Amino acid sequence: MKAIRLGALAMGSVLAFSACSSAATPSPSASGSAAPSSAASGGGLAVKIGIELPMSGGEAPNGVPAANGVALALSQIQVPGFTITINQQDDAVNGVHNANQGAKNMQTLANDPSTLFVVGPYNSNVAQAEIPVSNAAGLMQCSPANTAVSLTKGAAAVALRATNPSQIAYVRVATTDDNQGAGGADIAYNLVGAHSAYVLDDTQTYGVGLVAGFTAAFKALGGTIVGSASPPDTTTDFTSYVTTIQGLNPPYVFFGGVTTSGLGLFRKQMAQQGIANIPFGGGDGISDGSAATTSTFLNIAGPAGDVSTYSTVAAIHDIPNPTAFSSAYKAMFNTDPGGYSAPAYACAQVFLQALKAVGTGVTDLATLRSKIRAYVADPANKYDTVLGTVGFDANGDTTQHTISYYKFDPTTKDWAFVKQRDFVADPIPGLATTP
Amino acid sequence: MTAATVSPSRSRQALGRWKLPIGVVIALVVAYALLYGGVIYQSHVLSIPTTAAKALDQAQQQMINALTIGAIYALIALGYTMVYGIIELINFAHGDVFMCGSFVSWWLLTTLGFSGAISNPVLLTVVLILAFAVSMVVMGVVGVVIERVAYRPLRNAPRLAPLITAIGVSFILQNIVFVVVSNSLINSPQILPNPIIRFGPISIREINLFVIVLAVALMIALQAFITRTRLGRAMRSTAIDREAAQLMGVDINTTIALTFFIGSALAGAAGVVQGLYFGITVFNIGFQAGLKAFTAAVLGGIGNTTGAALGGFVIGYLEVLSSVYGYGQWSEAAVFGTLVLVLVFRPTGILGQQTADRA
Repeated sequence: MKAIRLGALAMGSVLAFSACSSAATPSPSASGSAAPSSAASGGGLAVKIGIELPMSGGEAPNGVPAANGVALALSQIQVPGFTITINQQDDAVNGVHNANQGAKNMQTLANDPSTLFVVGPYNSNVAQAEIPVSNAAGLMQCSPANTAVSLTKGAAAVALRATNPSQIAYVRVATTDDNQGAGGADIAYNLVGAHSAYVLDDTQTYGVGLVAGFTAAFKALGGTIVGSASPPDTTTDFTSYVTTIQGLNPPYVFFGGVTTSGLGLFRKQMAQQGIANIPFGGGDGISDGSAATTSTFLNIAGPAGDVSTYSTVAAIHDIPNPTAFSSAYKAMFNTDPGGYSAPAYACAQVFLQALKAVGTGVTDLATLRSKIRAYVADPANKYDTVLGTVGFDANGDTTQHTISYYKFDPTTKDWAFVKQRDFVADPIPGLATTP
Repeated sequence: MTAATVSPSRSRQALGRWKLPIGVVIALVVAYALLYGGVIYQSHVLSIPTTAAKALDQAQQQMINALTIGAIYALIALGYTMVYGIIELINFAHGDVFMCGSFVSWWLLTTLGFSGAISNPVLLTVVLILAFAVSMVVMGVVGVVIERVAYRPLRNAPRLAPLITAIGVSFILQNIVFVVVSNSLINSPQILPNPIIRFGPISIREINLFVIVLAVALMIALQAFITRTRLGRAMRSTAIDREAAQLMGVDINTTIALTFFIGSALAGAAGVVQGLYFGITVFNIGFQAGLKAFTAAVLGGIGNTTGAALGGFVIGYLEVLSSVYGYGQWSEAAVFGTLVLVLVFRPTGILGQQTADRA
């Protein structure tokens, strides 16, 4: 989930089309000179791509870089015969992502006949509220950042698509928290060398799932969980939790949650009570950018809380052509891409390829929407995206299972890429993978 | 001023005077023992052996955590209870006055160019006094303005009207900060250096000591003001019977404005403490804090300043206690469950409603 700067991430993109061949015709401004993008090659059937992300307040570092990824894709790739514009929605209420607002936004998008596809949401609990809506409407949505396992797999996922059980209307290009948790455990056990850990979750869908993934993988590696706690996501006073941890003095602390649940504050209070030296890890919920940006994890944790801090992103870092993507992104938005800019770009590429494949000659918007849903839901289709070749399995999960690792870098005051690992090609021995 | 006094008989007063300190000592001992039990319980649950000395040390640190957060709740709760005591209004905007106070202190400290700990003790003292003075005065004035504009015109309207207005004022304050200052979490300078101070067996961080001592000092000052001064007597008499007080020559409008000034100034002080202790503030921080403080006021006996302070400490303690026993996710359930239990058996709160005949 969260974005980070993966700086480089992105990449490829732009040009990627070459790779993305099927996605679209190469953009005239391929070299990314900030093409003022036009989105549309004049004329043609007017259609929209929805963006449903948290855009305001403390969520801006999460949603904005992803939304920019979509805008960049539209500026670079055209589909002949269509004029594509953006229908932008924001699920942040008072600066924090809100599941009810997400469901309302999804209904708004479903009610607009010209919206054929939605990129979003960012947070797993928002997706939980949105999937029943998009499923009922037959409107395909692609999340760049959701990682909770229960959204696509198991009985909980089946219940979410109860209206049309056989029709997948939700796919994601981020991999799941069983893999992301395994990445966190890999960092703790192998990178840091900690053989026991204290775990916390923020009681939300994402945090609980991530800690479950971490715990299973950490135990499979041979580690021990010395204790756990679940501070509610409204907590600001973590001092009692920190004191408990201080007493146990574990070699590693892992917290599943997001910055808006107070993880930066937690790390800061660890420092305040003198235990900043205990290495700390989180998932993509804290990978939200540099300490220089207001309200990111690193910004709130502060200089004393930054040491030995790790995070992950549930997507590939080493994308095929990073320089092209980041320079095109920078040219258009005058800032580096976030960790989920490239995945959002990839979601837009999925839509554009589907539109190109099934849209020719279709003028009825309802037919177009349902054809696009069916095309994207078909596991046989593959997409050449900025992330490389992506496909979706029968549940809508990406065929890429790569987790990228980051560590805080005190000189740049930002996350620095450490390595990435594909948990299907290179699984943790003895860890049962979720089918 | 010959305002009506409410003093109960001299003997009851004397008894009351001793009841509180004795109760506080007993409560502290029980609270400490429960925390110690929690630490031992956790070490059994996790099968991690601990020593008695280590557990005592842990329990002591948890007690300090509880007293610190309790002190912040208590400072906010005082404003709720004072306003309720005098005009029977649940001032839902009060939590947002606290929030604004934290922003005033953030603004002042960042404008002066501070971003971290100040090591020079003289400069530190001057800056602290300045931060508290500015924040308390500004928020006091804001409180008076809110009363004048939003509540006074509705003083004789049905009870629901000012209640809704209070909710409106709460949103207005939030939205002003949201739009004008910041719509996300911002860092507030933590200017206190944070060494560990030792008093014999007790070790405490400077920030915790500062917060607890400051809050208790403000509470004692408030108590002295209310019980020992003419204006305080006017406030008490207005609370008991507004018309009678007026007949006795108490200026009702001034007295009510004064109550708002003091309550809001205390919230302003809590706002400064929030920035110093947590190092952050955000435009909607007042909602959660206000809810806790309102609960504290009801728990202690609304209208009763000692009760509000006590309620604040009880709530901070319950939150820490549930976390120490490993049930942090139940902390809110513990707080509100206790509130329900107390109200079932003691509908007027722990200390009862000192100010008269509200029922």
